[in-house]
Amino acid sequence: MFRSYRFKKFPAMTDENVSKLNYMNPDFLKMFLMESGRIIPTRVSKVPQKHQRKLTRAIKLARYLALLPYTD
Amino acid sequence: MRHYEIVFMVHPSQSEQVSSMTKRYKDMIENGGGKIHRLEDWGRRQLAYPINKIHKAHYVLMNIECDGNILQELTNSFKFNDAVIRELVLHKDRAITEPSPMATSNKESQPREEVFKEPAPTKAQEIVAEPEAVVDAVAVTEPEAESQSETDQ
Repeated sequence: MFRSYRFKKFPAMTDENVSKLNYMNPDFLKMFLMESGRIIPTRVSKVPQKHQRKLTRAIKLARYLALLPYTD
Repeated sequence: MRHYEIVFMVHPSQSEQVSSMTKRYKDMIENGGGKIHRLEDWGRRQLAYPINKIHKAHYVLMNIECDGNILQELTNSFKFNDAVIRELVLHKDRAITEPSPMATSNKESQPREEVFKEPAPTKAQEIVAEPEAVVDAVAVTEPEAESQSETDQ
């Protein structure tokens, strides 16, 4: 439908991907960042709230270590 | 005794001293009765944004088990060491010994280099395999040629 053209797909939160929600995985976390460096909201990415919490923490730690940008 | 995960970033100009620094911290922990479960050197990495006009840094990851006093000592030494740009200390509830994603991703890049070295034997195999393939190809092409000539007629 129209929606599938509008939004790019995000990795499904399988067990394997949940284990990747770690600040040491910047390449994986990058998929959940906009080009500007903002974290994509759950509303858009449809990541379960439980995993979104893990994701934001991981991204924010990676940002502190300069593995991911705050802005771009 | 608690489990901690420490990541510290070293100024790229002090990159050569990383091994001696890690050794010093290792001694500090082990002399205090602590344990080191994981020690990884991620090497020099590009930073996502410049820190104090620096664009690269050397990363070291440590998973340790120690008392609060030793941790205090460690963080203190990070603070007064100008070579350490930034450090991150996390509390963990267990000893983590498996290699980190960062280390495994680096290891994955090494086999690729090995793959690049290999082509010679694979080519030889291809050459051996080729004659049969050529024969097959000829066998396949001939009927086609015949059929084409037939259609031409």
